[in-house]
Amino acid sequence: MDMEVSRIWRDPELWVKALPSVILQTTCFLAPLVMTFILTFQKTQNFQLNWTWNLATWTDVFTKPHYWTILGHTLFMALACVVVCIVIAFPIAYGLATRFRAYDSEIKVLITFAFITDATLKTFGWVLFLDKKGAANYLFAHLGLPQETVAFLFSDWATLLGMVYNLLPFAIFTIYLSIDNIERSLILAAYDAGASKFRAFWEVTLPLSRPGIWAGSVLIFLLGVGVFLEPKVLGGGKSPMSAELIRQTFETRVNWPLGAALTLVLMVVAIFVVLLFSRVAGMRKAGA
Amino acid sequence: MTAAPILSITDVHKSYGTYPALSGVSLDVRHGEFIALVGPSGCGKTTLLKQVAGFEDTTSGIIRIEGEDMEGVPAALRPTSMVFQKLALFPHMTVAQNIGFPLKLRKLDQSTIATKVDEMIRLMELKPEYLKRYPKALSGGEQQRVALARSMISSPKLLLLDEPLSALDVKLKKVLQAELKRLHRSVGVTFVHVTHDLEEAMMLADRICVMRAGKILQLGEPADIYYRPADPFVAGFIGETNLMPITLTGRNAEQVSYTSDEIVDGEGSLPTALVTEGLGQGPALMNVRPELIRRCDKEADVDCKLAATITEVFTKGGTVQYRARSPKGLELAIEIQGTSHLPMQLGEDVWLGWAKKDIWVLKPGEA
Repeated sequence: MDMEVSRIWRDPELWVKALPSVILQTTCFLAPLVMTFILTFQKTQNFQLNWTWNLATWTDVFTKPHYWTILGHTLFMALACVVVCIVIAFPIAYGLATRFRAYDSEIKVLITFAFITDATLKTFGWVLFLDKKGAANYLFAHLGLPQETVAFLFSDWATLLGMVYNLLPFAIFTIYLSIDNIERSLILAAYDAGASKFRAFWEVTLPLSRPGIWAGSVLIFLLGVGVFLEPKVLGGGKSPMSAELIRQTFETRVNWPLGAALTLVLMVVAIFVVLLFSRVAGMRKAGA
Repeated sequence: MTAAPILSITDVHKSYGTYPALSGVSLDVRHGEFIALVGPSGCGKTTLLKQVAGFEDTTSGIIRIEGEDMEGVPAALRPTSMVFQKLALFPHMTVAQNIGFPLKLRKLDQSTIATKVDEMIRLMELKPEYLKRYPKALSGGEQQRVALARSMISSPKLLLLDEPLSALDVKLKKVLQAELKRLHRSVGVTFVHVTHDLEEAMMLADRICVMRAGKILQLGEPADIYYRPADPFVAGFIGETNLMPITLTGRNAEQVSYTSDEIVDGEGSLPTALVTEGLGQGPALMNVRPELIRRCDKEADVDCKLAATITEVFTKGGTVQYRARSPKGLELAIEIQGTSHLPMQLGEDVWLGWAKKDIWVLKPGEA
């Protein structure tokens, strides 16, 4: 295996072939990242970027617990969103892939529409629905429930609701695809071997849909770490998440080095979490 | 011993909407038998197998296994085990886990399962080091053996095989056919094998059940199916044959008399044993297999003979095939052992003869 890799790397043709991709990756991905990194070692004075090398920003980042509290809160919200999304998406995807085959295409169109409708619009829609004088309370009042039953707008719960609502389609799609890929005869083989419906699901369907669950989780986690709309609109900006903090640092405080540093910290931590979980998932697969 | 059949299928019907997949199938399978269900695709053979396995219900009719009605019994509780066309090995389980899966579901302890799995891999001649591998790391033939081992480990009363060899190349197929035959002999389990390959069925099965359009056309031993087909379809389905039109003119206890435009037969009659039962006067077909026809002289003392011109020669290595046409346009196929020089040449006018005992007369119909 190692030999093969080194042989490929010595092949000069490979470098030529890889050139377009290397240029694209460098200019569009690597260069901005390096620039962001350089930016963190500069200073701001009077809302102006001052090109003097120093470590003040990083000292600030590593000494103020405030940033880390927000980061922790962000990770927690993203993970909570992943769990809720998977729990909701799995039965939906399973139903789509197994029970509602006849309406399969219609349902997929509906989910796609949910995707392409602007998230801002949908998020503000929730505000109207959840507001003290909103549609939900109006409905509940008519059903004889006490005034203001729904009173969690502008809290973390509302933020989570918005995140789940906006990110759910990713989980449904990825899980649906992996369940759809499971060959029917595998399930029949499980029945034939003496498995009950539940056992067949537990021993065959669930493990084989793990790739979809995993893909959906990673996708939602990374998107969830980056949300700023939901905490602002539905959370009322009371407990900001990392993305909002970064936006504020760049736009309101005009502290670019700090914004850049916070961005890098968020990226590194998010990637670390994903790697950590994939390690755990990988170990489970090997041990299973 | 005339024991009760292990599998008894009585007048089973199945329709998908208005399309009849099975219309009145009845079949008894004996203990320890190797039976093959054969027919073109869409004949209902797989549907029937799935009904026995419990994956499909019947529209009407009864399926009994060891006398017990299987209506409403789920697949998991039937004493059957299926080998799937695509094998259906669990990709996320190792070979050992795949083979042991049915026993794991029966809540046997680990060491018992391991012992049984070892027994199975020895029976299937699989290497022990494969146990820790995943199915996709094995070759097609090895995967086949794993699938068989998984099906056999729970000691089923009926092993149902749904064309498991159809995806393999010819060479491997031959090896696994021999393997299946050996397995059947050594374990004494009843095998029901679905295939569209009649040659395979002839090689493996004790009895063959030829199906077409949801009906059983003929059930019999391979020699019956081959030499005494019930109708032109069965005759033509299994290799090449010659069906020569004749007219039956009379019948008594021993003999059936017939006339033919072209076949020269001094007696003009056949023993009744060579004629499909119940076939009365009127048009019929005389079936003679290509390998039973020989070249002869005009004056030769042969039971039946026919003048024809050779129209095509195919040398196939071990054998040579000829096509011949009679003056009245009857097409014949002849197959003889290959020799270093061809006994008949293209365009040659010859006499072709065959023995009366090699004849089988069947009712005319669509082929």
